[in-house]
Amino acid sequence: MNLFRSGEHIARWVGERKPGATIPVTKLSELAQAWWHDRLSPEWEPHTREQNTAILEAVDLTGEFWRLA
Amino acid sequence: MDEADLGLRRRTYAFFVEHGRAPVAAELGEPDEVLEGWRRLHSEHAVVLNPATDELRMLNPFSVVPTAYRVHAGGRWWYGNCAWDAFGICAALHTDGRIETSCPDCCEPLAVEVRDERPDDESLLFHCLVPAEHWWDDIVFT
Repeated sequence: MNLFRSGEHIARWVGERKPGATIPVTKLSELAQAWWHDRLSPEWEPHTREQNTAILEAVDLTGEFWRLA
Repeated sequence: MDEADLGLRRRTYAFFVEHGRAPVAAELGEPDEVLEGWRRLHSEHAVVLNPATDELRMLNPFSVVPTAYRVHAGGRWWYGNCAWDAFGICAALHTDGRIETSCPDCCEPLAVEVRDERPDDESLLFHCLVPAEHWWDDIVFT
């Protein structure tokens, strides 16, 4: 899960491997905010799979690649 | 996850944020009990242990050990486990921050300021190689 300068840099880095998913850094920032914002709360409880799926869907990360275990 | 394990997790994270380093088991209580609790939390993906040593490896989004993702937030430098976690450190601390890393392809430095939950350089891209259903197969690789 890395940051890159451009799609060209990603393609070179992936090489012969099967590519994963690429999203803009702005969407990553939104995702991180939703996913991690409660991590230090004294009331934190583990997210359910359904909660995490909802977070992904809220930033339009859907489909086979983003399907959680 | 029962209340005792949630409490141990809470104390573990609080220690890390206060001191900027992970506790050893004896700093949180009777060492064997703490280790057993950490193992249960590890199995629930609430902390990540080094399987060889039972030491804390990740307190997601924080990394306990140095990584390629350095984050300055809340007046201190931290390490993120990956780019997602680097942004997650600012989110967890509810603060602005600065992320420093390098492009894995060309190795040129990358720096991103996070202000009001937004990156100042919107041209960068995030690539996730591992499909979500396999993230926890090997979370360190992911």
